[in-house]
Amino acid sequence: MNDLLTGVETAFNLILAADPEVLTITLTTLRITFTSVLIGTLISIPLGAAITFREFWGKKTLISIIQTLYALPTVIVGLLCYMILSRSGPLGDLKWLFTPNGMIFGQTILIIPIMAGLTIAALQAIDPIITDTIRSLGATRFQFLKSHLREARFAIMAAIIVGFSRAISEVGTAIMIGGNIKGHTRVLTTAISLQTSMGNFNLSLALGIILLAIALIINLIMGFVQNR
Amino acid sequence: MIEIQDIVKDFDGNMVLTGVTETIQRGEIFAIIGPSGQGKTTLLRILGLLLKQTSGRILFEGKPISQISDSDPIRRRFGMVFQSPVAFKDSVYHNIALGLRYRGFSKEVIREKVLQKLDEIGLTGYENRKATTLSGGEKQRVSLARVMVTGPDVLILDEPTANLDPVSTEVIEDLIRHYNKKLGTTVILSTHDLMQGQRLADRVAVMMNGRFIQSGPIFDVFTRPCSEDVAKFIGISNVLSGKIIRKEEGMSVILVDGIEIHAIAEEAVGTRVKIAIRPEEITLHTGPDRWSSARNILFGVVEAVRPFGIISLISVKTGDLILSVQVTWQSIKELDLKPGVQVTLSFKAPSVHIMPDENSHAC
Amino acid sequence: MIGRLSIGVIALVLGAILLCGVVSAEKVDTLGEHSADRLLIATTTSLDATGLLDLLEEKFKEDTGVTAEHVAKGTGISLQIARDCNADIVMVHDRVAEDAFIDEGFGADRRVFGYNYFLLVGPENDPAKVTGLNGTAAFMAIEKATAEDPSVVFVSRGDNSGTHSREKLLWKWGGYDYADINSSEWYREAGLGMGETLTMTEELQGYTLSDSASWGTYESNLSLVPLVENDEKFLNVYAVMRVSDEKCPDVNTDAAKKWINFMISDEVQDILSTYGVEKNGVPYFSPGRGSAEVMGVTDEETKDPVV
Repeated sequence: MNDLLTGVETAFNLILAADPEVLTITLTTLRITFTSVLIGTLISIPLGAAITFREFWGKKTLISIIQTLYALPTVIVGLLCYMILSRSGPLGDLKWLFTPNGMIFGQTILIIPIMAGLTIAALQAIDPIITDTIRSLGATRFQFLKSHLREARFAIMAAIIVGFSRAISEVGTAIMIGGNIKGHTRVLTTAISLQTSMGNFNLSLALGIILLAIALIINLIMGFVQNR
Repeated sequence: MIEIQDIVKDFDGNMVLTGVTETIQRGEIFAIIGPSGQGKTTLLRILGLLLKQTSGRILFEGKPISQISDSDPIRRRFGMVFQSPVAFKDSVYHNIALGLRYRGFSKEVIREKVLQKLDEIGLTGYENRKATTLSGGEKQRVSLARVMVTGPDVLILDEPTANLDPVSTEVIEDLIRHYNKKLGTTVILSTHDLMQGQRLADRVAVMMNGRFIQSGPIFDVFTRPCSEDVAKFIGISNVLSGKIIRKEEGMSVILVDGIEIHAIAEEAVGTRVKIAIRPEEITLHTGPDRWSSARNILFGVVEAVRPFGIISLISVKTGDLILSVQVTWQSIKELDLKPGVQVTLSFKAPSVHIMPDENSHAC
Repeated sequence: MIGRLSIGVIALVLGAILLCGVVSAEKVDTLGEHSADRLLIATTTSLDATGLLDLLEEKFKEDTGVTAEHVAKGTGISLQIARDCNADIVMVHDRVAEDAFIDEGFGADRRVFGYNYFLLVGPENDPAKVTGLNGTAAFMAIEKATAEDPSVVFVSRGDNSGTHSREKLLWKWGGYDYADINSSEWYREAGLGMGETLTMTEELQGYTLSDSASWGTYESNLSLVPLVENDEKFLNVYAVMRVSDEKCPDVNTDAAKKWINFMISDEVQDILSTYGVEKNGVPYFSPGRGSAEVMGVTDEETKDPVV
């Protein structure tokens, strides 16, 4: 209990003092997570929509596979991305291993299944009569898609929040691909993991509180938008 | 003009439509009536271009339309309202404006048209309300406005008032009539409510087993059902089997379960026929008086009294026959009608409607 | 209208955060990839946990203008990362693994820059009575004690790190088959880094082998005590080598050579002789300069600059 209180106290001191290292870590985290979520969203929503509205052989299997990938361990994603981004790997020429770009790559891959899967679920949850109405009003393909996404926007926003939460809280990919390089690829989770392994539990807890505070702010903003 | 030519729909071996043929005139209100599960919705979805038929053709202004793609401009000349009211998770304004936005109208035009429709459906001032918070009747008015604001040539309504209260039903019916009269919109609607069919339609088709077994002007279908099923569906409870045994004074005498009934029929002596007598066309008396100008006078005993609001149906057993007779509440009281009371039934020969003996054929 | 507003709000927030992320990352963005002025070091954790590498990288940047960065993993993973051509330099402490790495053609220009001793740490009451024994004897004493006292446990890193390799060697020197040891009830394989392994040993009140640099950093959080120190069998030699440009043509060989020479330079050797005194009481590492004999390596390996 004492440790917990000290942790909270340390967190506030770090935030109030705007500790430069903590600030760098936090900003790196935000930059990597937001970029991943942005790219993830740009890929997952069209992908989810395409899977929902197109009929093709193996569609149900594909959806099952996507749902199975929700459980993809982050370390496995990290390992796969390591192999892909490694100099000897297919994308080795990008030289992204142990860089923020590599982490964005890994986290994007990590969150695409859950974001696409939840987008599919959101679109499938739309009453078929809404689809009938949109079609019978003479929507073009693009208008059809736009109206469906709009109708499912709250559930899709939830999908984005889930993607964001998975990206910001995962450590396996970040440490495997980022390498936890100080000032460069060190993010909140890898810093927490390092501090914990060094026995600095207070600092770990403090960083955890900062991470949760970010998540809280994002959720409040999304909640505000949803209530409009 | 819409020509429906032998439409068949087969859902994986389940024949929902078995060959529908009909021509619907521009500007008319055409009602499809029939019990639930007979293919009304499927036919309307095909007409509304939401579903493709297995075979057959639909011509709109002489051009086949039913295999067109989603982006064909013809689609935008059809509007469809469904049994359940449809409300998008948006403002009422957005809900009504949707079709106009698809058509690329300018903001100003959309505003003008939407506000006008809000006025017509009596929801002025509701534009910023969330549509999902409206009542069922209000949502259905919005659904109708959403379609009508696009000015369709053909309005298709699938049981538009099935889920609504009587007041909302009346509002929707008034709006349908209004748009039909004012804009000349061709209306095709389905209903299982006979009264609604009678109130709204110019012509009606009875759908059973996946096809129209009878269609025509509303009066014809309701007074001259062409088969036992149609007769029963439109509320004629007295459908009897008999045989013409002789001609007498220009009329046919039909023997039904040992009782002779006079009717006007052209069929030859010896033909087996079905006869239908509307319960409201039979007069009921008590006492020994045999005064009546009717050709058919039968004696019987009251079997049961079934109240239906201010009108009641009384079952009377006469010989082996049981006939339903329509009587007012007033009369039940005055005549003290209850099971066991002896009564006299009378009805005129023209009230006896003759139908072919074999059922389930289109006529 | 509602939708447009919410999209606007989201865009604004996303934009603002991205912007501040980009601004903050400006200074590190220049090292977004391997290049002439970026050197990536795969290192064992002890060099990182003490903060030594952060300090040295700063000095190196001042001296040469080259930005050096490190990823701290166990010796095993560090060598694997190097084999995959993902690092320019490896800094590890496992002579056997290093030799294999060099024999395979991946490693080149090995220099030894410092050493310290592993420690056998355990509970203060020392149920296995290892105090005063030499390294090999202490390990044998633990094994024997487990037969009578079930409270005696040994916690192993179990992660193919340099420390783990040495521990395996110690069992071998004691005459055991490691497979037998590894399958014993009292032998707990943590599969974790040094810090976690020490924490686990603390909880179990067991014994474990630790490098002295890590011990120095974690010691203050623990009740365990060092029981066997400075034993010759516990000698822990740190080496630096570059990843061969014959196996990995893309490596930054020029900067790598500079780094190796930097590590054996008087500047770094002087730093090593005092680094950690302030925090730890004694230095974390002893400089390699002049200690070739103690470390059992050739003199050239400690001082000859690579060319």
